[in-house]
Amino acid sequence: MRRRAAVAGTVVSVLLILAIVFGSRLLRDFDSALLPYAVATVFLAFGVAYRYTVWVSAPGARRLFRKGWGSFFSVANFRRAPTALPKMIATYLGFQKFLGARSHARWAAHQLVFWGCLLAAAITFPLTWGWFTFTSSTGSGPGYEMRIWGFKVIGFDALSVLGWLMFHGLDIAAVLVIAGASYFLWRRMKDRGAITGQRFAYDLMPLICLVVISVTGLLLTFSSIFLHGGGYEFLAVLHMVSVVFTLIYIPFGKFFHIVQRPAAVGMQLFKYTSRREDESVLACRRCQEPIDTAPYVENLQGTMRDLDLGFDEWARYCPRCKRVLRGNAYLDHVKKGFK
Amino acid sequence: MMGRTIFIDPGRCIGCQACVSACRECDSHRGKSMIHLDYPDEGHSVASLPTVCMHCEDPVAPCAEVCPADAILVTADGVVQQADTTRCIGCANCVNACPFGVPKIDLQAKLQMKCNLCYDRTAYGLAPMCATVCPTGALFYGTLEELQAERPGVQVADSFTFGTTTVTTGVAMVVPADKVQWPVPGGLPVVEINGRDVR
Repeated sequence: MRRRAAVAGTVVSVLLILAIVFGSRLLRDFDSALLPYAVATVFLAFGVAYRYTVWVSAPGARRLFRKGWGSFFSVANFRRAPTALPKMIATYLGFQKFLGARSHARWAAHQLVFWGCLLAAAITFPLTWGWFTFTSSTGSGPGYEMRIWGFKVIGFDALSVLGWLMFHGLDIAAVLVIAGASYFLWRRMKDRGAITGQRFAYDLMPLICLVVISVTGLLLTFSSIFLHGGGYEFLAVLHMVSVVFTLIYIPFGKFFHIVQRPAAVGMQLFKYTSRREDESVLACRRCQEPIDTAPYVENLQGTMRDLDLGFDEWARYCPRCKRVLRGNAYLDHVKKGFK
Repeated sequence: MMGRTIFIDPGRCIGCQACVSACRECDSHRGKSMIHLDYPDEGHSVASLPTVCMHCEDPVAPCAEVCPADAILVTADGVVQQADTTRCIGCANCVNACPFGVPKIDLQAKLQMKCNLCYDRTAYGLAPMCATVCPTGALFYGTLEELQAERPGVQVADSFTFGTTTVTTGVAMVVPADKVQWPVPGGLPVVEINGRDVR
């Protein structure tokens, strides 16, 4: 498994390197000042592919992975539920409605962090890879052209509102991330539930990384506008170090949930399509309370058999009946005095 | 080997629900009770059975094993933690695979929750909420030696059979002295449902 994961990591890294080389028109558009960032993204690609392969090799994830993609490519999905997947992607991945059911404040903070990070990634990754370029025919502007893979996409005036937004997109992202991450840091200091069992490297480090990246990024803008570039080089190095560290940390820490979360969509799609096909929900053999869709319970039983958990038949009983049946067995066979 | 853990004695349980109320006060799942109190022979007997997470040791945490998102962590002290909120996708695999029927799920929040032995308390040597308030000692927290010092001659079992599988747990149950050498029956195979023989 480790070898397969290493192969997957290497293949993805090589593909990214090729995408960088060809996407930057044989490195003509590649900005060598951004080389450390580009190298970090190659390590990131290796780490994510490696960890992902290891993750989906475990019985539970492997079966869900197959069922999720099987549902996606199924006729039932395309014919009977074409809108289900886009809705699920918007609900689970975009607006993360489920977080609102946990806490409205956490939902709001997570939305700030999520959209901030997404905006920052959408700007910086292509820039780092030399896919985006901003050039001015007059040398110093204000007329600029944005090109993707060498093709002109848009022309704009750097002094216009659009120009300001284009050049301050990362500042906007930083403000969003600082607001969201600060709330989460405060919560990690104050909320007794969050404090229980929290670990520095897993729970606090990601937040600290996000705040350091965002603050140093904003300071770069501050330096160029108000300090005439004073301290810019030091800040640039500090910013680069924090970004590179975070990118390499992504596959091994809490940030890996970004890669895992789409599994929620696969799981929901599997349940949704199987329910539509089957219409019937499997009921507890004892009390007839619904458990879940029959294909889902069969999939779980398969996972349990894969893991040599010899009580997969138990999955056909609801949790309460399992407890009551165990209580009855104790009553009948262990301690009559229980009465 | 059993260290400091919960010992359940259903024979002492009077079904008062003090444990259920106290469980809601646990900081890691405030407002939601994770302990189950069932009446196995309701209407015919006053018998009641409190169920906390048994913290399965062998096979280690079936709930964690079937989790497709690697969301359930087993800490070095053998405590099976509730699902990591960042990772849990709310699939309910753990809920339906647990042989003891312990985990709960909030389908709106896409989040599993379960007894974590009041980790915010036990990590600092304090007893879990349920054992702290239990008026009859049906839920005892401590070492086996402490239990036996308080209740001379008491015997406990930490293995349960489900069909052909034996599950060894971190939490133990009090059993009569003549039953201590056998695993406690877990209820599977089911031989009777609502008075009907299903063998």
